[in-house]
Amino acid sequence: MSLAERLLMGRLKERDPLAFDEIVRRYGDKVFSLIYRMLGNRHEAEDVAQEVFITVFKTVDSFRGEAKFSTWLLRIAANQSKNRIKYLARRPTDGGELDDAAPASAPDGTPGPIAHAQIDAPDKLLEAAEMERLMQTAIAALDEEHRLLVILRDVEEMSYQEIGEITGLPEGTIKSRLHRARMAIKEELDKNTK
Amino acid sequence: MDHAEAQNEFSDFVDGTLPEIKRVEIEQHLAVCIQCRTELVAFKRTLGSLGRLKQTAPPSLLSDVKQQIYKRSHGRFFAPRWKLFGRIPFEWISLGTIIAMLVYYLAVLHGSPGSVHGAP
Repeated sequence: MSLAERLLMGRLKERDPLAFDEIVRRYGDKVFSLIYRMLGNRHEAEDVAQEVFITVFKTVDSFRGEAKFSTWLLRIAANQSKNRIKYLARRPTDGGELDDAAPASAPDGTPGPIAHAQIDAPDKLLEAAEMERLMQTAIAALDEEHRLLVILRDVEEMSYQEIGEITGLPEGTIKSRLHRARMAIKEELDKNTK
Repeated sequence: MDHAEAQNEFSDFVDGTLPEIKRVEIEQHLAVCIQCRTELVAFKRTLGSLGRLKQTAPPSLLSDVKQQIYKRSHGRFFAPRWKLFGRIPFEWISLGTIIAMLVYYLAVLHGSPGSVHGAP
């Protein structure tokens, strides 16, 4: 952990509001992105993301700095996402609903995921939205453990070491599960695009 | 090396985590196997699409979280502050008051000496 991060943690443990603001601003997107891809539902993701930062505020004293703060934070996000998936599965009428597709831009006008493809034509926009929907459906078809690995590695682009620290899995297990998950997504896409 | 064997190594091949010998074996297989080359292209396309799924948090996340903490802590944390005085530290207000009183005292002392001495 860097000196700057250690100082920030010290301020957060003293419940400095400005330190908390900085944490949410710095990690908000990463936490939200992970949760949204795990759940596939924006409303639920917003709710869980809030719970994650509330948990951080409440339990930051238990963070001993052995791992990076981001690792600790994403472990909380991953666990709370899995808990929400289980909770929603027990309520079949409310759960399992995926968003149609992510908006091309966020409510504040910043570019959304579709804009990453630098789209300038409506048909391409639709095509990208459809691809994103298919991807999300393919991710949702995986069990939560495989889903988490694909999101951490291929969406959030984390290293195997960081993934190991978040999930507690050895590298060999991560690699074999990740390969199965990637192949399953590819097959699902092949099936839907042919 | 057969198709299944080659395709089982696609993840490590793409991630660049294969041992040199294995990597060369796969490259040799790909050079002669159009089926595996096609599969590898589709595999890489899938990974590319996954990489474009990042999301941004809603702009209201910070204010929503703070509001929740305020509610759950019964107002202990993140209470709304006065717009003007909430941002000025009390130390500065105290210092300003002391300076103002000092100036006033000096002005009274030197400005109207007649008032210090009583009327005859």
